[in-house]
Amino acid sequence: MKEIKVLGTGCANCKSTIALIDQVAKAKGVEVKLEKVEELRDIMGYGFMSTPGVVIDGKVVHAGGVPGRDKIEQWLTA
Amino acid sequence: MNDHTTLEEAKQVCPTTTRRLVSEGALLLDVRERTEVASLAFDAPAIVNIPLFELEQRWSELPKDREIVLVCESGERSLKATYYLQFQGFTHVSNMEGGLLKWMRKGFPVIGKRYEAPAAAATSSCCGGPASVASSAGCCAPSSTKE
Repeated sequence: MKEIKVLGTGCANCKSTIALIDQVAKAKGVEVKLEKVEELRDIMGYGFMSTPGVVIDGKVVHAGGVPGRDKIEQWLTA
Repeated sequence: MNDHTTLEEAKQVCPTTTRRLVSEGALLLDVRERTEVASLAFDAPAIVNIPLFELEQRWSELPKDREIVLVCESGERSLKATYYLQFQGFTHVSNMEGGLLKWMRKGFPVIGKRYEAPAAAATSSCCGGPASVASSAGCCAPSSTKE
């Protein structure tokens, strides 16, 4: 199971990102553990300024803006 | 991209401590936008402006061996910037809580036209307690300005 963290301090884009990942995972039938990281100190520990960020299995794969559906599909099938 | 680093809790300082640190040689780093700084700026002897969105490209311009106090309007953007600098290996950094709004409530000098921020003033005090306590304690003196 992929562990996915969405990093953001609660902005609209962060919520959209979580919803979109959840939606794509269900559509693809991929089991994921989705977690929100909203604590600034934890977010900044990844070393980027732009949110939302997405971390999959400990690696930052995205920072800044809502990721596209295609991109999410690639992450989930990789 | 980066793996996760566990950062220490950011050091927070009040405007009074900030002024003392500046008098001892600390650098103020204002992370507000240039337009904000042009309209109202901290009046301090050693201050640089690097807007938050430029910090990822420009953090290497900053000295790692000098005390740096990060400032912005309310202390939120500067807290983010403080953590970013900590991630980049800066150990002598602190965030000025309350930002320019608290600085002005303390009566510390600014350059430019002073503006009121009723929302911030109504929800918190310069003393860290409820606004009603602050006003009765009389700690929120009007700021001095240079125009």
